[in-house]
Amino acid sequence: MATASALEVKNIYAAYDSADVLEGVSLSVPAGKITCLLGSNGAGKSTIIRAILGLTPPRSGDILVDDQSLVGLPTHKVIAAGVACIPEGRKVFPKMTVVDNLRLGGYQENSETVLRDRMDQVFDIFPRLKERRNQLAGTMSGGEQAMVSIGRGLMAAPKVLLIDEPSLGLSPLFVKENFNIIQRINNQGITVFLVEQNVHQTLAIAHYGYVLSQGRVVAQGTAQELSENKEVHEAYFG
Amino acid sequence: MDVGLLGQFVVNGMMLGMMYALVAVGFTLFFGVLDVIKFSHGDVLMVGTFAGFSTYLGLTAIGIDNAFVQLVGVLVVSIASMALLGAIIARYLVLPLKSAPPLNTLLVTLMLGTVLRESIRLFYPDGSNPKHFPSLLPTDAWSFGSFTLRADSVILLIGGLLVIIGVNVLINRTRLGLAIRAVAQDEETAKCMGINFKMIVLLTFALGSGVAAFAGVMNGLYYNEINFGMGLLLGVIGFSAAIVGGLGNIYGAILGGFLFAGLQTLGAVALPFASAYKDVFAFAVIIALIAWRPTGLIAEKTSERV
Repeated sequence: MATASALEVKNIYAAYDSADVLEGVSLSVPAGKITCLLGSNGAGKSTIIRAILGLTPPRSGDILVDDQSLVGLPTHKVIAAGVACIPEGRKVFPKMTVVDNLRLGGYQENSETVLRDRMDQVFDIFPRLKERRNQLAGTMSGGEQAMVSIGRGLMAAPKVLLIDEPSLGLSPLFVKENFNIIQRINNQGITVFLVEQNVHQTLAIAHYGYVLSQGRVVAQGTAQELSENKEVHEAYFG
Repeated sequence: MDVGLLGQFVVNGMMLGMMYALVAVGFTLFFGVLDVIKFSHGDVLMVGTFAGFSTYLGLTAIGIDNAFVQLVGVLVVSIASMALLGAIIARYLVLPLKSAPPLNTLLVTLMLGTVLRESIRLFYPDGSNPKHFPSLLPTDAWSFGSFTLRADSVILLIGGLLVIIGVNVLINRTRLGLAIRAVAQDEETAKCMGINFKMIVLLTFALGSGVAAFAGVMNGLYYNEINFGMGLLLGVIGFSAAIVGGLGNIYGAILGGFLFAGLQTLGAVALPFASAYKDVFAFAVIIALIAWRPTGLIAEKTSERV
């Protein structure tokens, strides 16, 4: 990969649950592209996200964003370095309105004008959220909560956006729409690191991919290469 | 009953309700951000009142005897020093116990409360005896028939109301409040939004403790007497008020505070036994209410969805 990488994970060892252990994982997420991480449950996908965010600091290894090491930083400093996350299970703040949820996404931005601009952009992508701006997020449908969660991630205007299992628990129609939106976000120049189990749809929008199994990277390449790799298919995706 | 006496009871009840609400708000804030009960809260209030009292003595000693300047000095020192103490307690006692069972925090802060109480009793000059807290507010009075309304009571009530409104605005309308609410709802996701979790916890404890110090000074100004044990009952009442209103809910804490004061007043006025039983009556009703509505009168909005 010739492009400069926005996010670089170097040989990290980390453990979250006993089942979700990383044993020397290295990967690089090129700037401006969509890079995906595929793997089954318990392969260590969530632990990588947690390690990058500083929620589960790695025992060893290094994580770099624009050549700045993130290891040992508290989570809010990782966010300050330009990382944002659309967490698994959406994790909207249920007892807050849509607007408050979005404001929290842009928590580190102090300028009201900038925040309002970004919120208008989010409302452009999701007109539904504009209609329901004052509704409590917890009272919305799963699909609408997904919009809140994605919009919240965009409010940070991140360099690197981590997206953890966006298709989990959504109807196929919503999944398709979500993947379109991820592509649209990437077209605006945001680097995306997408963690997924849904192989076909993910490889359809990703540029590069890694396959994780039992805490190790077992395959990597362009999305095209991974789709055509028969061994990978048979071994990891059934 | 005599109208004047009734009016007096109402003013007194409102005053107590305001103080209880201010204490209960602290309990509810601490529980909100960390899911812990900080039992030293009432004793922090007491220490704050003594800090204010010492400020008054100090200002008098250096010849500043303008009551308004003294009042401002008392409030600033009391609130600022307790905000600092609250943050220190959070930083060195509560946060280190974060991954331990919440019961440990309750016990540790219960013991801290005893340490604070006994320290004032033993080390404050003549600390075991009640102190006369000065009247720093104008004592003009208006008479309405047999009912006399004193200016200092009115000022205290308005002051308390402004603090409660201020806390509400802070929680619901500011960036800091947004962060506090986010941490209360989901700590990990709040961190992922870029919120400095530790800082928010410290600021929340500072806020709650500063508000308690205000309630303590209010108590001193109203009764003109303070003692080392004053925080104990205020703490227990504030805690009960927060629970009965719905722990974690600010409006619940305020409602609970005024409810408790109302019950005490009712117990003193309307019931056929001696007014010394007013606390027994109030606590008995609170116990019944908690049994009836275990999650508080203002239940959390149920918005769980998949």
